Amino acid sequence: MASSCSQALRHHVCKSSRILRVHLQKAWPNRSFVLNSAADQQPAVSSPVEEIVIPKKKTWSKEAVLQALASTVNRDPTASDYRFQDDPYLTPKTSSEFKLFSLSQESGRNAAKYFISTYPKYFQKDYAQPHIPCLMPETLEAQIEEVSEAALIERIQMRKVKAAVDLYDQLQQAGTPVSLDVTNQLLDLICFYGDCDPAQENVPEQRNEETEDVQDEPQTKKGRASKASDKLKAAWKENNNAERIFALLSEPNTHSYSALIRGMVKYGAYSKAFSTYTDLLNNQLKADVSTFNALITAAPEVKEKYNEKWELIVDLLKQMAEQKVKPNLLTLNAVLKALRRCGTVGKSQAFPVISEMRALSIDPSLASYNHLLSIFYKPGAPFQGQTDILQEVMNEVSGKSFTPQDPDDAQFFITAVRICLDTKDIEQAYRVHELLGVGENWRLLGNDFQQNIYHARFFSLLCMMENIDVVLKWYRDLVPSVYYPSSNVMRDLLQVLDTDNRLDLIPQIWKDLKQLGHGNRQTLVEELLTLMAREKQNQEVQETFAECALDIKKMYDTGDRGKVMMSWTAGSLSDLVSVLLAAQRRQDAWEILKLFKTHNRVPSEELLDKFLTCIKESGDVNQALELVQISAGFCLPGTPKLIQRVQQEFLLSEQQKSMLSDLEIQTFNSD
Amino acid sequence: MYRRLLININQVRNRLIHTHNTRLTLPSTKCKERESFAPVTWAPCTARPLGTSSISFSENKESSTSLSEDKGKTPEETELETEPVVKPEDRKQVETTKSGKESLLELLGAMKVEVTTVRKIRPSKTPRMSERPDQEPMESTHSMFQRAAAEGSQQHGTLNPALVAAVSAAASTLPNRHQAESELLKQLRKHEAIPDTQRRADIGHIISDMKVGKRPNGRSNVRPTSQIRFDDDGKGYTQDRGITSELDGVRRRKSPFTSKRLNLFAAAAEQDALSDLGPTLWDIDLVNQIVQATNQMPRNGFEEMIQWTKEGRLWQYPINNEAGLEEEASVPFHEHVFLEKHLDESFPQQGPVRHFMELVITGLAKNHHLTVQQKKEHIDWFRDYFRQKEDVLKEAEAYLN
Repeated sequence: MASSCSQALRHHVCKSSRILRVHLQKAWPNRSFVLNSAADQQPAVSSPVEEIVIPKKKTWSKEAVLQALASTVNRDPTASDYRFQDDPYLTPKTSSEFKLFSLSQESGRNAAKYFISTYPKYFQKDYAQPHIPCLMPETLEAQIEEVSEAALIERIQMRKVKAAVDLYDQLQQAGTPVSLDVTNQLLDLICFYGDCDPAQENVPEQRNEETEDVQDEPQTKKGRASKASDKLKAAWKENNNAERIFALLSEPNTHSYSALIRGMVKYGAYSKAFSTYTDLLNNQLKADVSTFNALITAAPEVKEKYNEKWELIVDLLKQMAEQKVKPNLLTLNAVLKALRRCGTVGKSQAFPVISEMRALSIDPSLASYNHLLSIFYKPGAPFQGQTDILQEVMNEVSGKSFTPQDPDDAQFFITAVRICLDTKDIEQAYRVHELLGVGENWRLLGNDFQQNIYHARFFSLLCMMENIDVVLKWYRDLVPSVYYPSSNVMRDLLQVLDTDNRLDLIPQIWKDLKQLGHGNRQTLVEELLTLMAREKQNQEVQETFAECALDIKKMYDTGDRGKVMMSWTAGSLSDLVSVLLAAQRRQDAWEILKLFKTHNRVPSEELLDKFLTCIKESGDVNQALELVQISAGFCLPGTPKLIQRVQQEFLLSEQQKSMLSDLEIQTFNSD
Repeated sequence: MYRRLLININQVRNRLIHTHNTRLTLPSTKCKERESFAPVTWAPCTARPLGTSSISFSENKESSTSLSEDKGKTPEETELETEPVVKPEDRKQVETTKSGKESLLELLGAMKVEVTTVRKIRPSKTPRMSERPDQEPMESTHSMFQRAAAEGSQQHGTLNPALVAAVSAAASTLPNRHQAESELLKQLRKHEAIPDTQRRADIGHIISDMKVGKRPNGRSNVRPTSQIRFDDDGKGYTQDRGITSELDGVRRRKSPFTSKRLNLFAAAAEQDALSDLGPTLWDIDLVNQIVQATNQMPRNGFEEMIQWTKEGRLWQYPINNEAGLEEEASVPFHEHVFLEKHLDESFPQQGPVRHFMELVITGLAKNHHLTVQQKKEHIDWFRDYFRQKEDVLKEAEAYLN
C-alpha cells in the first residue's frame, strides 16, 4: 500500500514538474538576464518570483563515477605505459622490450585461461561473493548427448562446426525436422568458418598468429595481404556442407541466402556469390543490408575495368533502393573501399557517395575518411593538386570525437600522418595529432604496432620541418613513454641537431640512444662521432664530448649482452682521437691511437698532424718521436713531413736527432 | 589625494567584478568603500598624470587578462571614464600637455563606446541591431552583462547602479556631499547622452592601433583558436595556424563534402523490420574485429577499473543509494519492516515469549544486512525452538496459549 502511495505521489510530482517546466521554457529567454541583473539591482526593485526547476532524473551508467575520475588523469610523459607500472623492473626501455613484455603479459593471461578452461574440474571453487561468471571456467565440452535440436543449438553456440554438421545430418536421417532459424544459425556458423573447425579460441596459438600478423605488417602495411593469406588458407570449396545443407532447405529465406553469400565472399568465391544473389532474386526474395555490403565488397573482384566495377556497385545500390533496404555505415565504407580499386573513377565518385550517405543521415566514420584519403593519395604516387583533400578531411573531422564502428577505423591516423609526411605538411600533422587527443579518439590509433608507425611518421615529419627546440619538446613528450624511436629516426634527430647547430646536446642524445638499445648501431654511432669531431666547440662542451666518446669506446669494447659487436673503422677511430685531442685529453687519445695497430686500421695523415700539434703544445719530445715511429710503421707517405716538423719544432737531443734521421732514411728507402 | 580616490574607485571596480562573479550583494561593498573613503578629503587641483597612470594601469591589466574577463569588465570601464568627465577643468590642462595620455583616454572612451552602443540598442530595439548581428553569438557573456547593465540603467535613469554607487561613494568623501554627487551624476548622464554614432567613427582607428586580436566590427568567423596566437607560450604548436584557420571559413563553403549526391536512395526509405533474432555470428565477429583493431589498453587505474566493471569482475562503484540491491530490488520495503504477520498462531498471543518475539521482529525490522528471506528464517528458527521447549516453558508457566 505504501508503495502504491509513493508511486502516486511520484506521478503527481512528475506531472507538476512537467507543467512547471513547460511554463519555464516559455519564460526562458528572459531568464539569464533576470538572474544577472539581480546581482546589480537593489532588493527593492521587484524581481520575478524564483521558480524551482526540478531536474529530470538521470540514470547513471555503472561506470559513470569511474569515467569521471578517469577523465581527471592526464598522461604523464615521464611514465611508461600503464600496463608496465606494476613492476618497475619490467619497464621497457626499447621497442623490442616493449613488444616482449606486453606480449608475455598477454600470453600469460591466455595461458591461465587455457588451463582453467581445459581442466575445469580443478577450478570449481567459487571464492567470489557475489558470483563472478567471467572468472569461472568456460564449458568447452558439449553437455547434451542425445540427438536433438537443443544439442544442435548447443553445438552451434560452442562453434563446433564439424560436430554441429554431424548432428544435423543425424537429425535429418532420423527424420526430425529442424526449424529454419536453427538451420540458418548453422549456415551462419559453417559459412563464417568456411566449413572448418575454428582454431580454439583463447589458446596460445591464436595469439601467436596475431603476433605474426603484427610482424608481417611492415611489408603489407594495409593488412590487405594478411587477409589474402586468410583466403589462401581456406578457400570456399565446391559443394561444401553449407551448400549441401542449403540445398536441403525447402524454403530458404533471406537469412539463409545472406549467410551463404557472406560466406562465399569471405572465402573468395566472388562470382558464386553473385550467382547466389541472382538465385535469391529469382525466388522473389529481398536481400538484407549485410548481403549487399558483402556483394559490394566483392564487386571489384569480379570486374576488370574501373568503370565496370563502378557500374556494378551503382547497380547494387540501385537494387538496394528498389528493395527498400536502408544502407548503413558499413555500406558506405564498403563502397569507398571498393572505390579505392577503381582508379580515377574513385576520385570522381567518392564525394558524391559521401553526400549520398549524408543525405541518408549516415555520418562517415574514420574508416570512411581513411578510404577517402587512400583514394586520393596513393602511396608512392606523385601528389598533384590533391593536397587540399587532406585539409578538407581535417576540416571535417577536427574536434570531433569518434567511436569505433568499423575495423578500418584504426587505419585513419596512420594514413593521415603518412600523407602529412609525404606532402611535408606539418600544419595538418598537428591537426591530426590534435584530433588524436579529442575524446576517446586515442583508442582509434590502433594496436601497439600501429601506434609505433604513427609516432615514427609524426616524429620524422617534425624532424624534417621543425626547428630543434620544437623537435626536442616533442621528443621529451613522446620518448620513451609512448614511442621508442628506431635508429633511422634517431639519425634524423641528429641531423636536426646538426642543422640547428645544437651539437652540445649530443651527449644527452647518446645516453638516450644507449637506453633505447641503439648503442650498437654502427652507422649511427659513427655519425655521432663524426658530428662530435667535425667542429671545435667551446671547452665545456668538448669536455662532455670527450666523456661521451670514452663511453662510446666502452660500447665498442664490451658489447651489449650478446648483441652484435661493433668493429672499429679508421674513420671512427680517428674521430674518437680528434674528439679527445680537442678536449686536451692527450693520454686517452694516445691509447686510442694504439688501437689503430691492434685493429689493423691506418690513421690519416691529418690526424697524426693534428696529434703532433697537440703534443707540441705540451712539449713532450718522446711522445713526438713515438708518433713519428707509429707513422713510419704504417708506411704513411706523410712521414717525412712529420719528421721535418719534429726536427723543426722540438728541441731534440743528439740521440733523438740520429733516431729521426735513421727513420728518414728508412722511409726514403721504402719509397 | 586624487590618486587615492582613483585607486579606491579602482578597488571598487575590482570588488564589483568580484560581486559579479560571486553574486555578493552590492550594499556590503558599499559599506567597505565608505570606510576606506572616510579619511580622504577633497583636493581639487592635483595633477592629471595620476589619473592617467591609474588608467594605464588598468589598461595593462586588461591586455594581460583573458578575453572573457575582459568582457566581464567592460561595463565597469565606464566608471573610470567618469573621472575625466567629472573634472572638465583638468581635462583642458591635459589637452595642452599630454597627447600620449590623451590617446589612452580616447582608447578607453572607445572601449566604453562599444558598451554604450549596445546598451542603447538593447532596450529600444532600433534597426541598428541588424547592422551588427555578428556580435551576439560570439559574446554571450558579454551581452549578458550588458543586458544586466542595461536593465539597471533603465531603472536608474539610464545609469548603471554600480556607477551610481561608485559616484555616491566618491561623493561621500567630499565636504559638500549632495552637491558633488548630483554633479557627478549629471556629468555621467551627459556622457551617456552623447550620440554614439559620433563616437563610433573613431573606434576603428583607435582599436586598430591596439594590438588586440579582436576587430571592432566583430568577425564571427574568427575562431577562438586564433586567439592562441597571442598567448605567451603559444610557440610551435599553434604557430602559423592563423592564416589557415581564417581561410577555413572560406574553404568550407567550397568543400567537396557538400558536392552533389548520387540520388540513388530516397531519403525517407524505411527499413523493414529484419533483425529479429538478436546478434548473429557475423555481428559478434564484427564487434570482435573492431575491438581487436582498436586500442583497448587502459591508460590509468580508473580505466582499468572501468574495464573490470564491464567484465563484471569488480563490484560496481555505487552511483546511488541502491547499489548492490540486485536480489532485493523487487522486494518492497514494508516486507522488511512490518514483520508482525510472521508471528502467527504458532507463537503464543501473550506472555514473555510473545514479548520476546516482538523485540526480535523490532530488531529485524531495523536490520539492513539481512534479506527478507533471512529474516523469515530467523523467525522460523525461534518458532521451532519454542516448539521444542514447549514442555519446559509450560512448566514455568511462560508459554501461554
